[in-house]
This record gives sequence, structure tokens and C-alpha cells, in this order.
Amino acid sequence: MTCFIWSEEFELGIDIIDHQHQRIVAYINQTYAISSSNHSALGSTDVKTILASLVDYTLSHFAFEEALMEEAEYPDLSEHQLAHHQFSELIENFKLRFEQGEDVSQQLARVLQHWLIQHIMTEDKCYAELVKQKLLGIEPERHRLWIKNAVSRYFQ
Amino acid sequence: MSLQWSADLEIGISVIDSQHQRIVEYINAVETAHQHDSQKELLEVLDELVDYTLSHFAFEESLIEEAGYPFCKAHKKVHSLFTRRILGYQQRAKADENVAEELTHTLKTWLVNHIKHDDRDYTDIVKANINEASKRAKAKSGSWMSRLFG
Repeated sequence: MTCFIWSEEFELGIDIIDHQHQRIVAYINQTYAISSSNHSALGSTDVKTILASLVDYTLSHFAFEEALMEEAEYPDLSEHQLAHHQFSELIENFKLRFEQGEDVSQQLARVLQHWLIQHIMTEDKCYAELVKQKLLGIEPERHRLWIKNAVSRYFQ
Repeated sequence: MSLQWSADLEIGISVIDSQHQRIVEYINAVETAHQHDSQKELLEVLDELVDYTLSHFAFEESLIEEAGYPFCKAHKKVHSLFTRRILGYQQRAKADENVAEELTHTLKTWLVNHIKHDDRDYTDIVKANINEASKRAKAKSGSWMSRLFG
């Protein structure tokens, strides 16, 4: 059975976002589990339930993330929101195909995994530093290094 | 199957844990109304659940704001989104739509995820704020006592 394994490289260093991403990974793995099981044993209600939970949780996560970016005055917020919106449309499409009786679980899990990895590693990593700096008071690594170098240059 | 309160739902702030437990009781009451096949019972319980949940959200939001939790606005946004969903279910139930099963699942899933991920994140800063406030209150009453009794 294919499985989405969480890796440290996906961590943004914002605990709550990392935990929310890990929860989505868990839902994706449940979707993989459906796809490799006997569906008649699970029942279409269970499949529908897992898919509904995945959609609900992802939308809630998007709202949380967008609120963080807004508060941090992230300049590319609208582009990021567009990416979230495109994902929602993609999921809606899978939902429709499922409701029409198509077995979408395997393809859905693969698409979700690919989308999430790409989204975290590109779009989410872009806002993370600004959110950490503005909301958590964590200086970006380059600032910490500059300060460290300046201190060693001028105070030794 | 009813939602069982368990230790992994506790965040260690007793007033919040009590409120969360109360919400779990309301969610189980929704499920009971569904089992009784009583739309009237469902509407009554749903009214109480909505009222209580909104109060809980308001309380939680002031707690985290006072504590200086950095993600207050995002947390409020998630509350607001969930409130809209629940009000939507309430409207559909009032229109005599059979929403109980879907509603019960949504409530259980949302609450468990929200407590375990979102609420847990503010725990340390809120506990620290409560402890500080306690110390300040004790110091204040202590000095009053010393003024009174030497």
C-alpha cells in the first residue's frame, strides 16, 4: 500500500501549521488505505465520510493559514489564496466523480500527496519566514547570521 | 457511537477542558436525538449547542488575546468558519431536512481536530498568563493583608 511519510524537509518551523499539515497527511494515508482495501467491506458511506473529513479539514487549514499571512502582511497572499482555491476546485471535481460512482480514491490520494508536497515546499515555505518574523518574533536565519558576524567583527 | 471524553482531549486548562467536555455532551445529545428520530429534540439540542459553542469561542478568544497568543486572528477565523457551518446545519434542520447524521460526524471530527491541533497550540502561553495573573493577585492580596495585620 502506498503511504505518505512525513519528512522533516516539510517542516516550516511553525508548530501549529506543521501539525495541521501532518493531519492532512494522515487523511491522505486514510485515502490510500481505502484505495487498497475492499470497498464493499468499507461501504460507500465510510469512503464518503473520510473524503468529507479531508475536505473539511483542508479548508479549515487554508483559512487559518490565510489569516496568518494576512496578519503578517505577506505580499503574495492573493496568489497563495488562488492556489488554495484551485486546490478546492480540484477536490470538488474528485467529489463529483465519486458521487457519480467512480472509484477515485487511489488517484485522489496520489494527486493530494503530490499537490501538498509541492505546495508546502514552494508556496508555504515562502510565507513561513515572514510569519515567523512578524508574529513569532523569530529573526530570519540570514539576520541571525548577520548579527553573529557583526558581533564577532566589532566586539572581539 | 458517542464521542468519549478522554485524556488526549485535555489541554490542561481546567476551565477550557470543562467547556470542551460540555460541548462533547451536547454533541452526544444530538446523536441521541437522531436515534430517537425526533426533529423537535434535535432542534432544541442544536439551539443549546450553538449558544454554548459561541459562548465558548468568545471566552477562548479573550483568553488567548489576553495571553498574547500570536495566532489569535487565525484561531478566531477558524472559529468563525465553523460557526457559519453550524448555523448552516441549524437552518437546514429548521427547514426539516434530515441533517443529524452528517451534523454529528462533522461536529465530532471538527472538535477533536480543533482541540488536538489548534487549541493545544495556545496552551503554554495561556497557562503562563494564568500563572502570572495568579501571582499578581496573590502579591496584591498579600500586601493588603500585611497593611491590615502588620
